[in-house]
Amino acid sequence: MIKVEGLSHSYNKDGKYAIKNVHFEVKKGEIFGFLGPSGAGKSTTQNILTGLLQLQEGSAEVAGYHVDHIESDMFNSIGMSFEQSNVYSKMTAIENLKFYAKLFDCETEDPQHLLDLVGIGDKAKIKVGEFSKGMKHRLTFARSMINKPTLWFLDEPTTGLDPAIAADIKNIIRKKNEEGVTIFLTTHNMFIADELCDRVAFIVDGEIKLIDSPHNLKLQYGDKLVEVTYIKNDKTITESLSTIVEEDKKKLQDIIGTYEIETMHTKEATLEEIFIKVTGRGLA
Amino acid sequence: MKKLWYSYTKELKLSSKSFYFYVEIIMAVLVIGVVLFLVPENLNQYQTEYVYLDMTEMIEENYRTMMLEHDVDGKIDTAILNLDGTEITTELFITDDSKVYVINNKEDMIALTKADRPYVGASIYYNEEVMDLAYEYYLQGYESDRLKNLYQIIHTEDLNEISLKAQQVEVKSLNDNYVELNSKEFSLPVILTFNGSLMGMFIIAAYIFLDKGEGVIKAYAITASKIWHYLMSKVLVLMTVTLITSTVILLAIMQFKPDYLMFFLLLITSTFTFSTIGLFLSSFYNDMNKAFLAIYVVMMILMLPAITYYLPSWQPTWVTLIPSHNLIQGFKEVITNGDRTYILISSAVYMVVGIVIFVITERRFKKTLTK
Repeated sequence: MIKVEGLSHSYNKDGKYAIKNVHFEVKKGEIFGFLGPSGAGKSTTQNILTGLLQLQEGSAEVAGYHVDHIESDMFNSIGMSFEQSNVYSKMTAIENLKFYAKLFDCETEDPQHLLDLVGIGDKAKIKVGEFSKGMKHRLTFARSMINKPTLWFLDEPTTGLDPAIAADIKNIIRKKNEEGVTIFLTTHNMFIADELCDRVAFIVDGEIKLIDSPHNLKLQYGDKLVEVTYIKNDKTITESLSTIVEEDKKKLQDIIGTYEIETMHTKEATLEEIFIKVTGRGLA
Repeated sequence: MKKLWYSYTKELKLSSKSFYFYVEIIMAVLVIGVVLFLVPENLNQYQTEYVYLDMTEMIEENYRTMMLEHDVDGKIDTAILNLDGTEITTELFITDDSKVYVINNKEDMIALTKADRPYVGASIYYNEEVMDLAYEYYLQGYESDRLKNLYQIIHTEDLNEISLKAQQVEVKSLNDNYVELNSKEFSLPVILTFNGSLMGMFIIAAYIFLDKGEGVIKAYAITASKIWHYLMSKVLVLMTVTLITSTVILLAIMQFKPDYLMFFLLLITSTFTFSTIGLFLSSFYNDMNKAFLAIYVVMMILMLPAITYYLPSWQPTWVTLIPSHNLIQGFKEVITNGDRTYILISSAVYMVVGIVIFVITERRFKKTLTK
């Protein structure tokens, strides 16, 4: 669905590259996470792929179209939810969606249905200027689905939302993916990437450091430990035991057979810890 | 084209809710109010002169008799003038092109001339040596040398000789259809240029920056519509508003006298060109204030031809090359039902220039979508 080769971009064309020699591929039906701290080059890449920035070096193919010759027809297949809400504040929520629906040449979603989906259906006839930041963000997110995209660009889709609404948004993303929508997710939030993405790319200083699935990364970079909490002589004891070291394995079997277990879980490394380990940089 | 229509109707709806839309409406209402109720029909019909007669009673009487021959009603009127709170009674002669107040005191004549700029004062006396009337003119100081020279020679020639020579010179008008405009009508070409095209440049930039502030250009760019639809919808809104306000102004002041077909043609093409210039300029800036400063400078340059319109004797070539010069002249042709070819050529040039600027502007907008 997306194929990028040797993509480089310098805003001032002065040799200072915002992204440098970026290669990756996103398969159809995949949720691909593009992860990195602010200024890493995530938005630059996404803007080139969506035609907001002109291609300078390299090549990129999006939904079967070369981005150096973007045809407006391409946008019938793609949707984009921006990090910063960008809707007409002097129009109502439903007017915003109805207007954008008219700008596509394909079958579009029912605007009211989309508003209901993101939980602002009862605010359909209220001017967006009166919306809270979170409501505007949900409207921007809803708008990105108006043309039933097969390739969906999401830029920080849950930023600034309260946990309950963020959970709803994640569910919508999952559901769309189950329906076959390919998703390009740009975020610095490793938890949402871990929850949603089939594969992730770590980008720092404009260069991709690694691409793999969160599962593989955890296997490769995570410590293989089990944290067990059990009761021994009326005392609660917590121990971390390796699942590789033979001595620890025997001890774990002994604990399970002898004592009352309160909790036990594998202690995987988080994606954030792996990111720091791989790139040597935090995500702030 | 359907998408352009949707964008246009949306823009029209949004602009009707914006402050800048009302700026245009209020401007039009103000213009109509000022021109209809404050600008006199004939602003400079009369040359006003304050005259002090310093001569014997008999010669003064002869002078009065001569003045009365030219007076429109053949009677000496009495007028009361106010000088620093003091009422001064004067004799008033009204001819076809001048009002002459005869003041009894030379100091009062000078004081009145000084107070009521840009009037002319004169002290007329009988010069015994040459046995003829002599004149002492009091001007304001800013008059051109040409005018001062004229005052110096106007009474020095033998009047009979001038009359004789005048008979030998034949003056023919090249255009019999010349329409004389009153002050209200004469002001229209400049008003229409400013209200339509130049204000349009400023307003369209305001619309663009309102959108930039909301980030909606980026959202529009990720649709199956084209950027030129977006830009053209703004231009069309400007055209609609300008068409309405300018037509109302023209109707209010000149009713159905002008050539409305030519008016619409020139107005539409020029608004297109100048609004694309506004778009083009705004594509260089992220900050509304900086863009407005640039547009303000351009507007000032574009207003220079208005000076040549009011002062036709000042007509340097470089001013005639400013695009608004043709527009002002074009509107003058419109309101006088004048040269249609001039209007058609001007409109064609505006259209072509507008299209070229629009194409360049669209490319610039595509390049600066994320800025």
